[in-house]
Amino acid sequence: MLRQDINELLTQTGPGTPMGDLFRQYWIPALLAEELPENDSPPVRVKLLSERLIAFRDSEGRYGLIDEFCAHRGASLWFGRNEGSGLRCPYHGWKYDVTGQCIEVPSEADNSSFCENVKLRAYPLVKVGDVLWTHMGDPAKRPALPEFEFAHVPPEQTYTSKRWQQCNWLQAFEGGIDSSHVTFLHSGGLQSDPLFKGAKGNEYNMKDTKPFFEVADSEGGLFVGARRNAEEGSYYWRITPWVMPAFTMVPPRGDHPVHGHFWVPIDDENCWTYSFDYHPARPLTAAERQAMIDGHGVHSKNIPGTYRPMANMDNDYLIDREAQKRGETYSGVAGIAMQDASLQESMGPIVDRTKERLVPADSGIIKARQKLRKAAIALRDEGVTPPGVDTAHHRVRSAAVVLPQAESFLDSCGDAIKATPGVPHSSV
Amino acid sequence: MYASESAKAASASESRYRITVPIAPARNARVIALDTRAASVARRISDGPWANARFYTCETTPDRGPADEFLLYRLDGVPAALDDMLRDTDVVVIMATDDSGATRAAAIGSACTARAITTAGVVLGDGFEADDAVAALRPHARVLLLSADESDAFELLRALRV
Repeated sequence: MLRQDINELLTQTGPGTPMGDLFRQYWIPALLAEELPENDSPPVRVKLLSERLIAFRDSEGRYGLIDEFCAHRGASLWFGRNEGSGLRCPYHGWKYDVTGQCIEVPSEADNSSFCENVKLRAYPLVKVGDVLWTHMGDPAKRPALPEFEFAHVPPEQTYTSKRWQQCNWLQAFEGGIDSSHVTFLHSGGLQSDPLFKGAKGNEYNMKDTKPFFEVADSEGGLFVGARRNAEEGSYYWRITPWVMPAFTMVPPRGDHPVHGHFWVPIDDENCWTYSFDYHPARPLTAAERQAMIDGHGVHSKNIPGTYRPMANMDNDYLIDREAQKRGETYSGVAGIAMQDASLQESMGPIVDRTKERLVPADSGIIKARQKLRKAAIALRDEGVTPPGVDTAHHRVRSAAVVLPQAESFLDSCGDAIKATPGVPHSSV
Repeated sequence: MYASESAKAASASESRYRITVPIAPARNARVIALDTRAASVARRISDGPWANARFYTCETTPDRGPADEFLLYRLDGVPAALDDMLRDTDVVVIMATDDSGATRAAAIGSACTARAITTAGVVLGDGFEADDAVAALRPHARVLLLSADESDAFELLRALRV
């Protein structure tokens, strides 16, 4: 359980809130690069951390992320004309560049300096990998760009998707460090999903449904090790890294690509789930990439032209009770991503954590909440830079390994949980 | 108007109809400090708002015989036998800061496993000084919180509603 005041502290990320200020210390995904595919492509509405923004790519290829609304009369710039190195409000023709600076007010006299005094709030928007990242905090404290491995391997080795999740970011994120649900909720997928099936590790997963956990601090967040019995005298370990505030990786299976998520608050009742797959040492095969596009693995099949999953709360997630009875899916919902999302959204927009009954196996979640709370308060009260801002903290990996029973995963997996360019991930 | 049952059920307005009843403390927890520094932590956090948590120390008593034959002590100094302490308990939280309690960790862990009592280990500090204690606890502890600090122990107990 969590006290209500702490639940509110962790779940509210709007401007001026402690967690909102914490998120504003980091570069976070704002949208996929595919959403602004070419110069002067249509602008895109972006809501992040409860701020309504508009993203566009100007005639020179520069990316901008600015206040959604025209400074003149408050019309949405989503209707804007993206032309001539700026975004022009179609109402009265006011025009803005990628920094939010107003560069034209047609109703003013030629050579008027009026527009020099009109500037919309703007944030940087930078492409790293398949993602456009923004930093919504103090420009004077802007950290170096993110160095997560999925965004730095060659393009043919990586794939990123996103989906709208209709709940607070924290309950979505907590699923990412909760290894004990895999054996139940995702048991069908371990046997059938093209991006999961066939790995030796799946057998350990299915044979031992009561994992033991070890939770260890890392410089950027946590490592959560889930341990199951393997052959006599050995354990199968699945190691999940969390980098603050919202980056998690799923331990890999066999030679399948390794995957993970970035959970980004849209507002306090919605979040974006960015899901990535990459292989550190080889290009994704055509079949793997197609499976990701088709919504397998951690990805979702979205309604064309949107980032809303086809299976969503408005259609009861297309639940199939017969498939559940046949054992094809555990919950009746198809797909790893929507199996998670359906249950996380069912908790309500912001789950009431004062009513939880946690167990020791939830210690990763307990510790993560504690770290988030401490970091938010240390930032608020003392200006302490939180873990995960330093790009060195980004260079982590998940791992799946079999170790002798006497060995600690922390002692034995030092290299396996570090991102080393070109070196395959450690997987079973 | 909602498009589905799920959409309606997940709405903020429907949250008002969730059943609200007081949640009784669910765990009869026993917290055992294996060494001197862990005992100091146990004494400090024992002042928390606990309903069913009881705190014990388990410091070295070399004159009392083999290391796996030991007495626990309540924080007021009253001795308690391990068997008695585990009666009516459903979760044991073991705290360690170094290796001095490794043998006792193994004995307590085994006793808990034999009685189907969920065990959690909280290793305070950087953990390097408690490698043997961690290794002794590993087969028994459903969860090990490594490199924990005092507030982690407190938060764990609070989250477990002890």
